[in-house]
Amino acid sequence: MEAVLTQHLDPAAPLGLEAYRGVGGYRSLAAAFDLKPEAIIKTVEAANLRGRGGAGFSCGVKWRLRGVDAAKPRYLVCNLDESEPGTFKDRHLLYGGPHQIIEAVIVAAYALQSERAFIFVRGEYATGGNGLKRALKEAEAAGLVGANIGGSGFDLQIDVHLSAGRYICGEGSAQINALEGRRPNPRHKIPRTSIKGLWGQPTTTNNVETLVNVPHILLNGADWFRDLGINGGCGSKLYGVSGKVQHPGLFELPTGTTARELIFDHAGGLAEGRSLLGFLPGGASTAFLLPEHLDVPMDFDPVAKAGSRLGTGGIIVLDDTTCPVAVALNLMRFFARESCGFCTPCRDGLPYLAQILAAIAAGEGQVEDLALLEDLCEKIAPQSFCAFAPGAVMPLTSSLQCFREHYAQHIATGRCPFGKANEGGL
Amino acid sequence: MSKLQELEKHLAQLPPAHPERRAAVVPAMQALQTERGYLDDAAVEEVARLTGLSATEVEELATFYSLIYRRPVGRHVLLVCDSLCCAMNGGKQLLTRVEQMSGVSLGEVTADGALSVLPSICLGLCDRAPAALVDGEALGPLDEFALAALLQRLQGED
Repeated sequence: MEAVLTQHLDPAAPLGLEAYRGVGGYRSLAAAFDLKPEAIIKTVEAANLRGRGGAGFSCGVKWRLRGVDAAKPRYLVCNLDESEPGTFKDRHLLYGGPHQIIEAVIVAAYALQSERAFIFVRGEYATGGNGLKRALKEAEAAGLVGANIGGSGFDLQIDVHLSAGRYICGEGSAQINALEGRRPNPRHKIPRTSIKGLWGQPTTTNNVETLVNVPHILLNGADWFRDLGINGGCGSKLYGVSGKVQHPGLFELPTGTTARELIFDHAGGLAEGRSLLGFLPGGASTAFLLPEHLDVPMDFDPVAKAGSRLGTGGIIVLDDTTCPVAVALNLMRFFARESCGFCTPCRDGLPYLAQILAAIAAGEGQVEDLALLEDLCEKIAPQSFCAFAPGAVMPLTSSLQCFREHYAQHIATGRCPFGKANEGGL
Repeated sequence: MSKLQELEKHLAQLPPAHPERRAAVVPAMQALQTERGYLDDAAVEEVARLTGLSATEVEELATFYSLIYRRPVGRHVLLVCDSLCCAMNGGKQLLTRVEQMSGVSLGEVTADGALSVLPSICLGLCDRAPAALVDGEALGPLDEFALAALLQRLQGED
């Protein structure tokens, strides 16, 4: 498959406006303005473009359900707050090609008839965010953003919001609170932010990778997009492979590419003499998959069928020198620290899990600890306020199933079999 | 015009109760931090004045965001990733070494005021693990030698 989303990315020298136009950039604007917004939404729905932020919900359906008669003003938020361990695709899009993002936001805002769009960039990506701001100024000066774009009658203001850290800001409703200048706690699910979001107005949030697909779908058609995928998948996908592989990196490949191809053909496989212990298919908040799952197509439904989630498509590989208890501990410390602290099961439960895991990792665990961990996971996930804690316990629950003998061995021998007893880490 | 002046000019045009006044709180904290290095108590009051929030509300946000500093930091802030992919590839040892080599614990400032080192959540640099970020510049994969050269550069140039 030819690169679509990464074709013109160059982090060393991202294309300026003229150069980007020279390779066909912003062509989709004229195509979009020739169509009714509903027609664009229909095409995106027909393309079966599914949300690349992790949830995998149909982008076209999300847009259609927002409704053409939604109250005005309506807002579009482009989520570029990537902070999921194992995930670095949005960084490549931001640093490598800011104009591609602006073009996508314009087309999406037109389809949704949103007069204002926000691009929410994580604070750690400030350098890329500043590049995006410069690109936006260029686009505004050229009349591509602003009033009556290209004589279409469509007005759009785009703001780049540079955030200041914290994983939870990537959650859609927390992000809206952050934009409003409130503490970024997630909001209650009802009313949905698509009805009452930013400043109480209908707000559509899409991951940046989802959005950058839209101009290509518009120019090439829904069938073209669907045909890019393999093994039942649709479109191209930015996969990341990191962890214990020889050549970690970002790979744009057909949606549905198997984990085996990603890990062994594209990421260079494992170091000499090592064997695969397991992998997280889509970032930290997904369940582990095992070597027996290597031939599962990395697409939303097949990965769900295998018991995990495609998530962000950022695969984290563990080899036989990686202590799975230390991995679980690292993840749980991450989630405990990043909990927004709003609800008790999450704020107090996750540090408790981390504490038990630290004891096991250090060889001080008790046999009863495993049942206690499982019991806590079962209680924390459904009782917490948002999807953060369920995501946090997912890798632990599956780790306890997949690597139980490793936990038992730590407890029985009173030390880490990987020889890192006092480290409690990797 | 500095970022702070730009922001003040923008906010001066808004009616007092306009919702975007409050929305300016993060950019306001960032602008003041850029000028002063960190957000001291006077800066918290200043952000409150600009945004129409109480100082307590600003404090709540200032202490929530990991990239807003309520205590003095060095002229350079080195963020070292401690999340999974980096930790699996030597990031944990790197954090220990950076403390030894810089002579300060995480969160402290070196005696010359040049450097603070802070642990960070995943920096989105898993393909360059173990990774770090300094003054917006991505670094990685880092080893002990690269780290030594970096510390020398950061502590030597001012």
